[in-house]
Amino acid sequence: MRAPNKLKISLAVTAAASLIAVTGCSANQPAGSSAGGSDKLEITSWWTSGSEADALNVLIDGVKAAKPGLSVDNAAVSGGGGSNARQALAARLQAGSPPDSWQVHPAGQLKSYVDGGQVADLTELWTQNNWASQMPKGVAEAQQVNGKYYTVPIGVHRGNVLWTNPAVLSKANVKIDPAGGVDGLISSLKQVQAAGATPVCLGDKDIFASSQLLESIIMSRAGADNWKKLFTNEYSFDAPEVKQALQDYKTILSLANKDHSAITWDEASKKMANGACAVNLMGDWAYGELVNAKKKPGTDFTWVTFPGKEDIFDYVGDGFSIPANNIPHAEAANAWLKTLMDPKVQTDFAAKKGSIPAVKSADISGLSEYQQEAAKSFASAKVVSSLAHAQAAGAEFAQTYADAVSTFNGSGNADAFIASMTQAQKTQL
Amino acid sequence: MTTSTALPPAPVSPGPRPKKQVPHNVKTSRRAAWIFAPSLLVSFLFVYVFIGITVYISLSNWKIGTSPDLSLRQPFGGTYAEIVQEQRFQADIRNVVIFTVIFLVLAILGGLIAALFIHHVSVGKGLFRTVFLLPYALSFIVTGVAWRWIFSPSTGVNEILRSMGIENPPGWTTDPTILGALNDPSGTDFLKVQFGIPVALLPIIFAAAWQLVGFAMAMYLAGLASIPEEHLEAASVDGANVWQRLRHIVLPQLWPSTITCFVLLLHVALKIFDLVVAMSGSGPGFVTDVPGIYIYNYLTSRYDKASAMAIILLLLTLAVIVPYLIRGYRKERKA
Repeated sequence: MRAPNKLKISLAVTAAASLIAVTGCSANQPAGSSAGGSDKLEITSWWTSGSEADALNVLIDGVKAAKPGLSVDNAAVSGGGGSNARQALAARLQAGSPPDSWQVHPAGQLKSYVDGGQVADLTELWTQNNWASQMPKGVAEAQQVNGKYYTVPIGVHRGNVLWTNPAVLSKANVKIDPAGGVDGLISSLKQVQAAGATPVCLGDKDIFASSQLLESIIMSRAGADNWKKLFTNEYSFDAPEVKQALQDYKTILSLANKDHSAITWDEASKKMANGACAVNLMGDWAYGELVNAKKKPGTDFTWVTFPGKEDIFDYVGDGFSIPANNIPHAEAANAWLKTLMDPKVQTDFAAKKGSIPAVKSADISGLSEYQQEAAKSFASAKVVSSLAHAQAAGAEFAQTYADAVSTFNGSGNADAFIASMTQAQKTQL
Repeated sequence: MTTSTALPPAPVSPGPRPKKQVPHNVKTSRRAAWIFAPSLLVSFLFVYVFIGITVYISLSNWKIGTSPDLSLRQPFGGTYAEIVQEQRFQADIRNVVIFTVIFLVLAILGGLIAALFIHHVSVGKGLFRTVFLLPYALSFIVTGVAWRWIFSPSTGVNEILRSMGIENPPGWTTDPTILGALNDPSGTDFLKVQFGIPVALLPIIFAAAWQLVGFAMAMYLAGLASIPEEHLEAASVDGANVWQRLRHIVLPQLWPSTITCFVLLLHVALKIFDLVVAMSGSGPGFVTDVPGIYIYNYLTSRYDKASAMAIILLLLTLAVIVPYLIRGYRKERKA
């Protein structure tokens, strides 16, 4: 009796498994080859949190207004700072069934898709619409690989913002002057320390917070032009300015909260706003985080550009690309890209996302005080790409940098840092 | 005497199996082959074929995850040569070895003590069993977040320590110190990390052991239940004290449970990922980095490096599991 029973069970299990497999296959089918034609559009991104999802909806509403009757499939994947979404996208690209458009950081990250032949050349669309003239040169350049355009920028974040706590600074009688350079910053921070407060809040449980601090110091010491040359191997990580920056970084690290490797970037930003320390370097996504935590801009926290000899805008960008092959709905995707570049859409998107528009003609008068200031600086400052966010160089180089920063945080050995970065300049660019 | 007659039934049932009376019922065995075929095929495909693919990728030039490059890297095995000299790789190997050793000792000893306690306690047996086993039912991410708060230098246990008057409580997972360092690398040597016990790893090992003590306990409770009462009674009659009974009767009979615990917990230790991610991440200078995090970080930027690390992790596991399997196989053949 027992054996036939077991047989029945295993047969049932096998049948169930094959049933799942079959239904799984058929469920996949419509995504690849739908009969819907041009009235459909599928978008992949990693914008799933409250403000991000709202911002994405602005874009979706925009394209629906431009193409009435279009149904948009929002295929956002949450988690891992976008890495989950990128893994999911990678699987679809390899299977040859891409979405109509997907979110991409410009420059470095874009390059890996271009190298893989996966994103469409948009140069014609750019020249037809004369988009390059509508944005700062640095931004237009970041959308290119080898002189051709492959993506469309929707918004701009700034990486090198120093968020400050006015109460802690005034108690120590310190004012941070962006023109005072790194030396001025360090002496201000030491003054804060002498007044008995912790000068710097840092949260580098995820190493990008440290990478971004060090990159801000290197930019300030070496200047925007040399920063760019680091990624064409025309300027070396062995240069005296970089060495000096590493020393500065070490000093600033010694002035930071001791538990920095145990807390995350947002925890560090909130610590600063709560008065646990005087300053916190973080990209301007911290602004949204602080406002969400009911902190008042101007009273609970203020901001300055990270001090340096020139006004540098450390650019962290968001944009969208479309697939080079097997695009399911080419016409809708085209309308989507044009919608993204609409100044009004860019303004509405920025209002939700906390970033600033990439297009100069976008109206910023309704945005927050911080955003207006950033937009003004964006138009005049030297715009460079962030390495901590894999934009200034490809993913491999960026990972080598992140690892070198982690190692430096533990050992403080500048020679080892320089050795691994100069080696990477030779082999990974 | 009674025990020797009680024992045989167990070995009797697996006894006839090795004699293979297949021809007796060819139909059944054919049917068995058909039933097993799908699972054999699936496990062959998803385990061995995929291991083979991973080995191949680790030897190839495939860097960016989305753009495959299957040409073989020159010189052969260059990726392995590249990663073994990395500071991060060396730190990872140190960490995973230290983690495994201390974790196994803590979890197995803790499980044994808990099992002995519960076995002998007369009230609230079920309650204690549940209390010890409960953490095992939780996810590492959930407990990891709680442990992160407990061992956060500015909050958690340090609050208690400070209120007790200790001015400089430990930095826990943020402490880059290496205990008992065997070497002092200058930066130009092949060895780029200090080999010793990373202090920052200890809270994580403790958290992992806490979570799996219940599992070890359950294994030992099963082992304890199978020790015949008569053995212990006979020993008592002969005048053996509690310690002697434990040392000479209980522990030797628990040896199979210990081996099983060891093997099952070992792979938890080697594959540890989620708990570390939740508690500390890579840590300053990779003091709490483990191969799992390494693989995850390099998946999108260096597919070949991530694959090479996965293979090294597999070899580490095999180095311990294979001797165990061989031992088990030999025993079976003897039987």
